[in-house]
Amino acid sequence: MSDKTESEAPGLVDTAVDRVRDIVDQAILRSVKGLEFVTSPAPEVGVTPKEILYERGTLRLYHYLPQTDEVYRVPVLLVMATTQKAFVFDLAPGQSMVEFLVKQGFDVYVVDWAPPTPEEKRLDLADYTQDFLPACVREVQLDSGETDVSIVGYCMGGVLSLIYAATHPEGPLKNLACITTPVDWSHMGLTRIWSDERHFDVDRLVDTLGIVPRDVVAASFDMLRPAQKTAGRIRVWEQIWNDEFVKSYRAFERWGNETLPLAGEYFRQTTKELMWANRLYNGDLMVGGRQANLANIRVPIMAIMAQHDHIVSYDASKPLLELVSSEDKEELVLKGGHVSLIAGPNAVRRMWPALARWLSERST
Amino acid sequence: MSERQSSTDPMDRFRELVTEWERGFDALANRFMGTDEFSRAMNQFQNLQLSMQKAFAENMAKHLANVNVPSRDDVLRIGEAVHEMDMRLARMEQRLDELARATGVAPTRPRKGPPRTRKPPSQMPPGSA
Repeated sequence: MSDKTESEAPGLVDTAVDRVRDIVDQAILRSVKGLEFVTSPAPEVGVTPKEILYERGTLRLYHYLPQTDEVYRVPVLLVMATTQKAFVFDLAPGQSMVEFLVKQGFDVYVVDWAPPTPEEKRLDLADYTQDFLPACVREVQLDSGETDVSIVGYCMGGVLSLIYAATHPEGPLKNLACITTPVDWSHMGLTRIWSDERHFDVDRLVDTLGIVPRDVVAASFDMLRPAQKTAGRIRVWEQIWNDEFVKSYRAFERWGNETLPLAGEYFRQTTKELMWANRLYNGDLMVGGRQANLANIRVPIMAIMAQHDHIVSYDASKPLLELVSSEDKEELVLKGGHVSLIAGPNAVRRMWPALARWLSERST
Repeated sequence: MSERQSSTDPMDRFRELVTEWERGFDALANRFMGTDEFSRAMNQFQNLQLSMQKAFAENMAKHLANVNVPSRDDVLRIGEAVHEMDMRLARMEQRLDELARATGVAPTRPRKGPPRTRKPPSQMPPGSA
């Protein structure tokens, strides 16, 4: 007994000394790196090699250059939400869904959005789903030489993809994956309460401003988690000696700071038709003279949801697979939040491989 | 090993405290902001701001009209007209493309990039991956 105590005592002392040494090292690094943090420019994002294929007003279509000897026959078109920049798909090497898919042998295209200009204030859901998305699909077809196209939509990009798919049942959509896509807008939590039609005068907002400013959109996200930014700053100060942590934090921070303004008509229509009348869920949404009934969708479909999504709740995205007519459907529910689902550690370990496997089996 | 290491890290407790504070603050704020009263007050404040902004814009437009200078809205209307022409051209391009496809003369581009022959791992012969 006494031998054991004697042999463990130096070990404990060594561990304590090591810890003190680590803490001192980290404190020194914190001072050095802290200065670096405030003086260095924002990190470079979206570095996977790409070319711009099509550009019109707010719309950008990128093609990521293949990096494998052969690619899957069916190209993949990622559709970004209209509120954020698409570089969240390509944050940094090793933290990039696009890079992962390209290295897995997919021919990847991405729909991105620039801030709509005041001249584009009248863009509505029909412009996005009956004009922009079909134009992108045509460009992908022309560029790849393939008729079939798979679409992967994220958040509102998923909603646009669903409306496109429901109003173009004749094709050429081959597969559809929706990531954290709101379908039942009655479960949109605080966002729904704040836009309650008894209090929120969306007509006055849109008629006065034309374009819904970036600050309004950003505030609606920030208010959902008011302590998030402060807690993030504290965490980065504590971990500032950790280059990888800081790099990842700054990339996410940059993405969060680049929230986009929204075209007024699009915002008005989204509020009235989706948020208030819940027409996407009810199946009576009319877009550009076509009925966007999710029951029209028959292609293979995958729904990917986050358990702790504070922007699009699990309950808001869950009904998707019940509403479509597809026979081939798969649901993937992962731990994590709205953003970590596509670019966090769980995305790297589980979401990207699962999406790549699902697509690969349907892309030959 | 990792559990033992983390248990000796004094910053662990600090991290836990930050997380607890964040969760607690968010939950409290969400309870407050999730009320009908908050929604009404927030939107009333926004409406007030919008009314002031509108009144200011209208006043400014009158002043500019008095000195024969086009207002922002005037310039935007020209921009919107150009944008609408751009959209119409895009729609015509789309119609032409659809017509071309229907008549079997769909536009093509020279094929580029690697062959599109990749198979999923599940269809690859064993040992070829």
